[in-house]
This record gives sequence, C-alpha cells and structure tokens, in this order.
Amino acid sequence: MNNKAYYGEYGGQFVSESLMNTLNEIDEAFEAAIRDPEFIKEYNYYLKQYVGRETPLYLAERLSKKYGTRIYLKREDLNHTGAHKINNVIGQILLAKRMGKKKIIAETGAGQHGVATATGAALFNMECTVYMGKEDVKRQALNVMRMEMLGAKVVSVESGSNTLKDATNEAIRTWAKTAEDTFYIIGSAIGPYPYPKMVKEFQSVISREAKKQHMEAEGKLPDVVMACVGGGSNSIGMFADFIDEPSVELIGVEAAGKGIDTDEHAASMAKGRPGVLHGTRSYLLQDEDGNVQLAHSISAGLDYPGVGPEHAYLHDTGRAKYVPITDTEAMDALMELTQTEGIIPAIESAHAVAYAFKKAKEMTPDQSMIICLSGRGDKDVNTISDYLAGKGYLN
Amino acid sequence: MANRIEKRLEELKSSGSKAFITYMTSGLPDYERTEQIIKAQDSTDIIELGIPFSDPIADGPVIQQASYEAIQAGASLKKTFDLMKKIRSEGIEKPIVFMLYYNTIAGCGIQSFVAGCREAGVDGLIVPDLPMEEQEPLKNALEGDDTTILIQLVSPVSKERIPQILEGARGFVYCVSSMGVTGQAADFHREVIDYLKSVKAVSKIPVMMGFGIREAEDVRPMKDIIDGAIVGSHFINILRQADFDPKAAAEYTARFKNKLNSL
Repeated sequence: MNNKAYYGEYGGQFVSESLMNTLNEIDEAFEAAIRDPEFIKEYNYYLKQYVGRETPLYLAERLSKKYGTRIYLKREDLNHTGAHKINNVIGQILLAKRMGKKKIIAETGAGQHGVATATGAALFNMECTVYMGKEDVKRQALNVMRMEMLGAKVVSVESGSNTLKDATNEAIRTWAKTAEDTFYIIGSAIGPYPYPKMVKEFQSVISREAKKQHMEAEGKLPDVVMACVGGGSNSIGMFADFIDEPSVELIGVEAAGKGIDTDEHAASMAKGRPGVLHGTRSYLLQDEDGNVQLAHSISAGLDYPGVGPEHAYLHDTGRAKYVPITDTEAMDALMELTQTEGIIPAIESAHAVAYAFKKAKEMTPDQSMIICLSGRGDKDVNTISDYLAGKGYLN
Repeated sequence: MANRIEKRLEELKSSGSKAFITYMTSGLPDYERTEQIIKAQDSTDIIELGIPFSDPIADGPVIQQASYEAIQAGASLKKTFDLMKKIRSEGIEKPIVFMLYYNTIAGCGIQSFVAGCREAGVDGLIVPDLPMEEQEPLKNALEGDDTTILIQLVSPVSKERIPQILEGARGFVYCVSSMGVTGQAADFHREVIDYLKSVKAVSKIPVMMGFGIREAEDVRPMKDIIDGAIVGSHFINILRQADFDPKAAAEYTARFKNKLNSL
C-alpha cells in the first residue's frame, strides 16, 4: 500500500496496471512542479491575468441583516468561464505542458469542467477531447456548443446510465490506451492518487485568498466556512487553508435531491457506504452487490454517486460536517440570493447558500461565515425556468 | 488440496501443450445458459467467469454491454456463487477464475468474499482495478489456503514493475496486449513480442496473452513465447451470434484449442 495515497482509509490507486506508471510519473512531475518557483509564478500569472483572480470576498449586507450574522460570499462565480473549475484546469494543463503532453482529455457532467478544460486547451494550443454522457449532451446543448467553439471534440458516451459516471469510465478507458501522449484532467477531487491532492492544491487558492480577505475585513478568522459537495473540488479548495484552524467550523453541503429518504439523491456521505469507484476508495452510493447507484440532483454538478476521499476522511474524523439540502431548498435559496443581493448563483452553489440560511439561525451578529459561491447561474437558466414553470426537472 | 488452475497448468506443461482460456459473463443471458456454456467447453482449460459490475473501467464495449445486460437480467455475486456450488457438487473440476472489479469484493466484505470463493470452489481471482500497491488486504485474506489464488496482470507499459508484480505470483501471468489499439502491424508485432519476451524472461509460471485475440492464428507470431491464449470479447460475440447456444461454445473452443496446439 502506498501510504501517501491515503487519507485515513480513503483514497488509493484503484486503476488497471497499465495506468500505474502513468500515475507515478504524474505524481513526480506534480511534486516537482509545485516546488518550482517558476511553475508557481506561471500558474499565478494566469490566475491573475486570465482567470481574473483574486475573486472578491463580498459581505452580503442585506442577507447579513436579515439572518443576524455576518455572511460573506467567496465570489468564485466571477472567474473566467463562470466557476471555480478553471483554477484547477490552469494548474493541471500547465503540468501537462511541463510533462510534454500534447493532448488533453476530460470528463464532464453539466459541462462546466468540460468548458473550462476546452478553454485551457485553446489557450495553450492543445488538442482536447471531452467525454460527456449522451443524456448530458442532450440536456446541456449550450455547453456542448461552447466546447466545440473552443475547438474541443465532444464525445457522446453511450454506456450504462449515459451520464457523468459513464463519461468518467470512458475517459479512464481512453486514458489507459493513450497515456503516453495524453494527460487526463480530472475536474473533481476524486480519482486515483495524486488527483485528489492535485485538485486540492490547485483549488486551495480559494481558501488562501478568503482567509486573508476575511482577516483584513474582520481582523479574525471566520466562525463557519461552507461549500457545496459533489465530488468535492470547490469545497476542498474552500476548506484547505482552514483545516488546521480548529476554531473554524467546516460544513460541506451534499445534494439531497428529492430527499435522502427517497431513491433520488446524491448524498453519498449521508446514505452511502465506503466503496471503490473511479480509482479511489470513498463513500459511495451502491447496492448490496457493490454496483454503483445512480445519483440524482437538480444540479448536474452535484449529480455524482461518490465523493472525494479527503472529504470522507474529514467526515469520519469529525473535522468537517456534511449536511444534505434538497432540490427545493436549493432553488428557494437561489431565488432568495438572486432577489436579495442581485447575484444568480449556480444551482450547485445554491445548496451551500440554503444551508447557510439554516446555520445562521444559531449564530450571533458578531460571528461570521463564508459561503463558497462556486459558480454563476447563467448555465442554469433553462433548469430554473422549467422549475419555476412547475415543469419539474431536466434531470 | 492443490489449486485446480495450477494442477491443470502442470498437466499441460507435462504434455507440452498450450492453455486455452475463455472469458464469459456470468448470468448472460441467464444462469441456466451460463451453466450450460461452462459445461459445453470440454476443450477450454480454464474459464474466466466475469462477475458483472456497473462500472467496468477495464473493459471494452462488448463486455461492458454484456455486464450491463447481465445486471439488468438479475445477475449477482450471490447467484454466481450458487451456480459454482451447484456445478462443483456435480463433480465438475474445470478450473474457474472470477474476473471481477474490486468494489464487488469490497461490497461483499473481503473476508466473507474469500470464504464464499473457497466454499464455492472458485479457483482464482482476476481483479483488473487492483494493482499490486492495493493488493495487500486481499492477499492477506487469501493466505494459508490454496483453494483460491490471485492472478497477476501485467501490461506492455509495466516495464520495470514486472519483476515485482511477478514475485510470488501464482497460477499464470495474464499479459494484457494492446492489440487492436496501437499502430502498424509490423511495429505492433515487434513491440508485443519484445514485451512478452520480457515477461517470459522473469516469470516462473506460465505466461498467457489476452485482449483482442479472435482465432488461434492470431497468436502464431508469439507461439514460441507464450504458454496460452485468452479469448474474451470475441467469445462473447460468438455466443451472442449463436443466441447463446452451448453447441457454438463447444465448437469454437474445440477448434481454437486444436489449432492452438498445431500452430
């Protein structure tokens, strides 16, 4: 067992033998890169000049007043391409370049990570293929078009449930055959080691900035930090710099879909048990035979049956708390944030906002919380309009 | 009791013949025919029985589809154990290996899975998403009883990992070739042959080649290196075309095995 690949009993490298040398090469290249000041300088340059960092830590005044505590929003929605996903893509694509890879592949569910990857590939002139479930290709046609405009090839995956899980399977299969010249950019805090570590590293800019910004504004650490959790990339980035600050309460918000007591949710912590999917051991929605169950959430970005291994570890050790929020609660919070602060959040991020409103009730006016507003809601307007029209969900 | 796979491979070695291994998906199209197709394969030396999994990341489209259909038809680990117990109780001694993904084992619990394998007479395990770095818990559970052994896989890119993987390996080595994936025929053959030679050079146990083989003729270029051939996807296609008629399995395997030993 490769101990550094584990977070407690979670993580590891559950992939075919043909990928093990590749993972070791990536691990070595990654560790060298993040110790190389030139690499970090280049990464930071693109984050600033291309992505538009740093992103604001905005004190939501009207919400703070209404809920009686200080509510800050970390505005990842203001990044180029509209979400936090680009932070990681820039990091991994620079690493791919450094390793001499010419081609990039990625999986995508809603299309946000696919768009971010296609964007990075256009920027660095690399050939890009994005794997997307056939169902998602249909319901996210606009993002498919964006990726194609950016020069990426979108492969519609027809196997299993035809969604993100299956797109990831197909990306892994392709990677196993082409790893020599192809780099696989995983967008979530999942996958075999060192992927969860890489994603955390490249997303930790969120909490580094937020911590500094909060200190400047309040002269102290926040009391609560929260973020939504699908695979867990924005949340691990939002938690990273606060994990070793025991006074800061960390809360991850899972998608409870139609309710965690129904069969239609994506709450792998609340309702799953440890298992192995996509190269890593973590909490997983599965049946008694170990077959992976379909997740459901109105938010395509949270619609994943697993969760990153470090989250499983933070859950078991009690360092972070994970709570479920339903589709309805998330949509109510989305509308409230939109109408109170003039910010249309992604439905993913609205899950964190919904729990923040609940949490605020037990907080005092001199306390503060940071919500990671991981993305903007432009991509969701069709879903939102269908929901408001009472037509139900696109999912 | 000696392990059935190792016993069979010893016999083949003594007679100087090559092993023929087939892969079939358990529960496809149903358990009755799975049983008939196992029993029809007189010429097959070892049968790989695939336990269908929802997310088979190491399989191509044919086996993916087979797994999906088998699950839809109600296939499960428990039912496959039951089938194994039945055929063992009937005195069938054919070596049978489970090919399955790690979450099927983890989902069952490693200890109870291994106990189930021993009780049902499963002779070996091939776990394509369990590289040597992750094998310790399963190996520990298998230790001390030869009934069920863990089969090791190597790939053309394993290179310097090969000696380590083969240390203490049991049964046979499963060489994944990248047939049908990499480029030019001539280059392909040279590369694959070099790879197989590198495995053979360090292996104390028989070396089998799998992935992309359809007919015995396909392995002619490496016939002097390998100890046997594995047919997976193509065998599933053969079965499908014959509407899972056990006679088709019997005919194909007899022809392949015969040809394999007269190349």
